[in-house]
Amino acid sequence: MPPPGGFAHVQYKRNLSLRGPSGVLILGVTCLVSAFGFYRLGQGNLEQRELAREKAWSRIHLVPLLLAEGDRDAYRRQKAIDAREAAIMNDVPGWQPGQSVYHNPKYRSGHWVLPL
Amino acid sequence: MSGTYQAPSASTAKPYIEPASIPDELPKVNEIGTTSGPLKSAAFFIGAYCKEYNEDFMLCKAEDRDPAHCLKEGRRVTRCATDLLTKMRENCFAQWDAHWQCLEKNNQEYYLCRKPERTLNQCMFERLGLVKTVPGSPEGQPQIHEKERPIYKAMQK
Repeated sequence: MPPPGGFAHVQYKRNLSLRGPSGVLILGVTCLVSAFGFYRLGQGNLEQRELAREKAWSRIHLVPLLLAEGDRDAYRRQKAIDAREAAIMNDVPGWQPGQSVYHNPKYRSGHWVLPL
Repeated sequence: MSGTYQAPSASTAKPYIEPASIPDELPKVNEIGTTSGPLKSAAFFIGAYCKEYNEDFMLCKAEDRDPAHCLKEGRRVTRCATDLLTKMRENCFAQWDAHWQCLEKNNQEYYLCRKPERTLNQCMFERLGLVKTVPGSPEGQPQIHEKERPIYKAMQK
């Protein structure tokens, strides 16, 4: 005979711990985090482009100033070279100091590097 | 000629320094004599203040690369820059000093020195009316030096 109040329920459910978030949820969160990261990356790339532009223009603005100073120095040196050449070659008739070796009026620097 | 060229020999390995000065018939101009940090700090203001002289000089250089061709325009460029730097020293010396010292300590990168740069820009606008603008920036957005929350910035503010 059953005890008073009846039999207790039979424990037929498995007693497992929580499974955690579902696979779809994990995939979704990963996608969201990645999307945010890629957005920041794109914004950062745009910002780096602007930083490079700023740096380039800061140098462009200084080019005339530095070039003018270098030109004066190059001119001073060339004048001294010509005077020295005239003093050395003064006994050669018809010698023109500083004359180009090319039959072309275009300016050519006497150096490999342009005086900047 | 004050000096004669001496061929550099192995025993006296000193660089040859040209002793001659610039010809006297040219007008004298004081060289700018400023190092890279202050110049970088003032670059955009030089570009704004001396725009006509700079463009004139570069157009002249495009005509002919000969250093003798553009001496007059070059003197104007240098005089204009000297004038601006004198004005900056008179009006915004403390802000300018702070900014270029920061640049010197941060590899001369603008983005690491926005804080002193903003005080300098504000002072230059209030006293001299000069605005820093980067040409070619996208329209409708704040320029890179005015961005509120940049991604690339100094670790410590």
